[in-house]
Amino acid sequence: MIKKLVWNDVKQNKLLAGATVFFMGVSAMLFALTALLFFHLMGAIDDLMDRAKVPDYMQMHTEGGILQGQDGAAMERNATMRSELRSFVSTHGEVDKWQICGFLNLDNSQIVLGGRCLADSTQDNGCSVQGEHFDYLLDTENEMPEVLPGEVYVPVCYRAMYDLAIGDTMEIGSQKFVIAGFIRDAQMNSMMASSKRFLVNEMDYEKIKRSGNAREEYLIEFLLHEGADISAFGTAYAAEGLPANGPAVTRLLVRMMNALSDGTMIAVFFLVSVITLLVSLLCIRFILSLQMERDRKEVGMLKALGIGKEEIRRIYFAKYFLFSVCGGLSGLLAAFVLKSPLAGQMKELYGVSEGRWQTAALSLAAVFFTEGVILLSVLRSLKRMDGLTVLEALLLSEERQNSRGRYGIIGLVAASCTFLIFISQSLYSTMADPGFATYMGIGDGEIRMDVRQTEDIPVTTERIAFALAEDAEVEKYAVLCTRSCAAVLPDGQMVNFTVETGNHNIFPVNCLEGRLPENKKEIALSAMNAEELGLSVGDTLRLATEGRDIEYCVCGIYSDITNGGKTAKTCFADDRAPAVWSVVYVSLKKPGKKEEWMERYARMGADVIDIADYVEETYGQTLRQLHLASRAATVLAMLVIAVVVMLFMRLIVERNRYTISLHKALGFTSKDIKRIYFAKGLLPAAAGAAAGLLAGNLLGEGLCGMILKSFGAEGFHFVISWELLVGIPAAVLGASVPALLAGIAEIGRIKAYECCNRRE
Amino acid sequence: MGDQLLKVESLSKGQILDHVSFEMKDGEMLAVMGPSGSGKSTLLYQVAGMDQPSAGKVWVKDTEIAGLPEDEKAKIRLRHMGFVFQQMNMMANLNILDNIMLPAVQANKGRGRKTKAELERAARKLMQKLSISGLEERRVTQVSGGQLQRACICRSMMNSPGILERDERREEKWHLLFADEPTGALNKKAAGEVMEELVKLNREGTAILMVTHDSKVASNCDRILYLLDGRICGELVLGKLVPGTEKGREERVNKWLAGMGW
Repeated sequence: MIKKLVWNDVKQNKLLAGATVFFMGVSAMLFALTALLFFHLMGAIDDLMDRAKVPDYMQMHTEGGILQGQDGAAMERNATMRSELRSFVSTHGEVDKWQICGFLNLDNSQIVLGGRCLADSTQDNGCSVQGEHFDYLLDTENEMPEVLPGEVYVPVCYRAMYDLAIGDTMEIGSQKFVIAGFIRDAQMNSMMASSKRFLVNEMDYEKIKRSGNAREEYLIEFLLHEGADISAFGTAYAAEGLPANGPAVTRLLVRMMNALSDGTMIAVFFLVSVITLLVSLLCIRFILSLQMERDRKEVGMLKALGIGKEEIRRIYFAKYFLFSVCGGLSGLLAAFVLKSPLAGQMKELYGVSEGRWQTAALSLAAVFFTEGVILLSVLRSLKRMDGLTVLEALLLSEERQNSRGRYGIIGLVAASCTFLIFISQSLYSTMADPGFATYMGIGDGEIRMDVRQTEDIPVTTERIAFALAEDAEVEKYAVLCTRSCAAVLPDGQMVNFTVETGNHNIFPVNCLEGRLPENKKEIALSAMNAEELGLSVGDTLRLATEGRDIEYCVCGIYSDITNGGKTAKTCFADDRAPAVWSVVYVSLKKPGKKEEWMERYARMGADVIDIADYVEETYGQTLRQLHLASRAATVLAMLVIAVVVMLFMRLIVERNRYTISLHKALGFTSKDIKRIYFAKGLLPAAAGAAAGLLAGNLLGEGLCGMILKSFGAEGFHFVISWELLVGIPAAVLGASVPALLAGIAEIGRIKAYECCNRRE
Repeated sequence: MGDQLLKVESLSKGQILDHVSFEMKDGEMLAVMGPSGSGKSTLLYQVAGMDQPSAGKVWVKDTEIAGLPEDEKAKIRLRHMGFVFQQMNMMANLNILDNIMLPAVQANKGRGRKTKAELERAARKLMQKLSISGLEERRVTQVSGGQLQRACICRSMMNSPGILERDERREEKWHLLFADEPTGALNKKAAGEVMEELVKLNREGTAILMVTHDSKVASNCDRILYLLDGRICGELVLGKLVPGTEKGREERVNKWLAGMGW
């Protein structure tokens, strides 16, 4: 009997049934998709990191000048470094294994990959051999490949970027290699990691080292016993004064960097899921209350016949249960269909995570959660029927919910959807804005020159600075030299520090707190450094260079993702501290001949890059995904608005059928009546759009701030363009107007005589 | 006439009913008359346990139902009572046959005394008896008012002992049909047919408590109570209807009503 009741009810109210299933399906799909992508990403990253045996602590180290294999002094330094490390490890029981991996940092202009020169690449590209004990570079099957002489395995992220295939060639200077496969580098996979490792045979590694095209750097890696305190280990390492003139990276940081490039898209999906679920709950509750209003008499009659309230609830609940099964299943199916294109990049970078049944179970759990929340809300609404006495149901005139409530729903949904579109679009436009780089620790310049791989960094830097001072095309420039020194914390602990020195106020980065250093006594810290060292603005810090301590006052904190996120900025120029690299920011008076200009300076020994290209390469992929997610959110939000507006206008017209018919009998035309209903529907949609924009402005920044904070960029402000402020309401109204017209089309079909045949 | 079926004692409901007391025997057909607003329908719904009276007691057989919880009252309604309303309330999403079977299917749930096929056979038999065979698959909007009201009567009889009698203990074999203006929304011919069916059911042993303001309808009953401003002001005992005496009974009722100030 319940089956028949439900089936006939669905047949009679196809529109309501369709709308309910739609809302349930979309909510389920979004939650399942979020769960699928999130756990797929996390699972795949963890899986890859476990297989690759990523070190718990890794210290980069570079010696000044180009090292030649035969260079006796270099070999001696190498031996000293090893013996120092060996004695350090012998006193630290938490170390399970350790190794020194060589990294041949290549001159990008010497690399030709699949016929394309990497001169304009902003990455530090270099060669490595397979790790001895851990830190393995894995192939696309997540296995350790065997590299034969003359072969090279290329980072998988370059496959699509340079359109490469197995069998293509790679040239390093005059040496040619055949691409034998692609590798997943658990440490440096993400484009946010600034280095990329090419895997070569040991013999080739030595050959390249001797060729003079590369400078050898070291990755000093430690695998610790489970449960060891990595941060305490890092502090101990720095305190010993061991080789450490490059950034240090922990396993956690690697995991975060890996997760962040794809995490932003997932965060947007999660946000969209939550808002869609709320909109769905709102709509379903409303549909239910409408139906209960309509079925009041039937409920009263069932009660009069002696059918218990649980049974009556079951009859109504059965229908929504059926809807939720249909919605849940179709949502799940849609999530699986949509997952493949969305997870494409993740699959390429990290491989397929193991444990497919877990993924399936999690997506099912997400669907159960969504449908559970919806059904619980249905049950709560149904309980309201319990209070209805038979007499009220049968005898009293129908209780009318005023139409204002119904129009309110249109306003609420329009506001939620506008909010959704606004924040997803604003997040994208903020990140796509050239100024966003300043939140990432990149100066607000036009061109950036890196002086890293020269014999004498200070000399080259000075030569470039001199040329810039004389250059009539240059509008302004800033020379910043990064030096390595030890910092002494207030509690006496020593940590290794890379400090960028120079005038930071010419091309400032964005400060979260305080300001950039203006005198020799001040230092600004990156957010990650400040947090890890427990320092805030106003605290002091001593830097030790060549045995001399200088006290600095922390004047500001800025967000930075470069060099592992741990940087500091001062104005001082202590020549005695070893220079690790130099960066020169330049902006030109006329952008006309930028390329030619850049080439001229590249010949002076610097890597010259256009900052826009740098940003594009560093997080372009993330940006493209975010673009995709924000577009999907916009389309979905517009679809939801259209469905809600059409549905509710249809319902309002149906409820007012008698009144409309009466108006017609009195001489109103369909056009007159339609005009009234159109205005009534458009008003809340427009008001909702305005409210959504306002809420987006007030709350959206904080919400996106949370997403971007995890991304490394803190304290940001929305970049809101006029296009968005005009475009979003236009899109919302663009979706509402046709839906409104479709919703009120029924008015034309209502006949004037209907009011005479029907009792109101 | 059988044992006492219903006893109402000092029943009050707000300002509408004021200390109403009366009794009804098993197999009796009792009408409640009175002007609009006198409290007739309210009295019927209090007695049927659909509403909670403000004071007083209602015994159905040996059970005092006014003090019972809602669910218990619902159970009694389902097993022992039938209802025919003026507005012919039926589920719009079920066909006529399913609507008729609805209370029986529910009452039979978990007890399994009758199969679905048996219940369907019983429903069809009832439909045949009330001359609405052939309308089984029709929707409620596809039949006339008179046909629909007869379908309502079929539904009200589905749980009567005649239908669900197997395994019933003797003391449970009773059925009380409540009718609230059963012919109020019907034309003269349809009203006549419906009344004929109700009289027939009563003759077969079903007790009927009916609210009406139609003297012709009331003259078919054994007894009439007159309600005015929530109080019973008069009683007319007519006895069982003997065919051929309808006209004289109606005149008697009209005269009595005139005396009551109708």
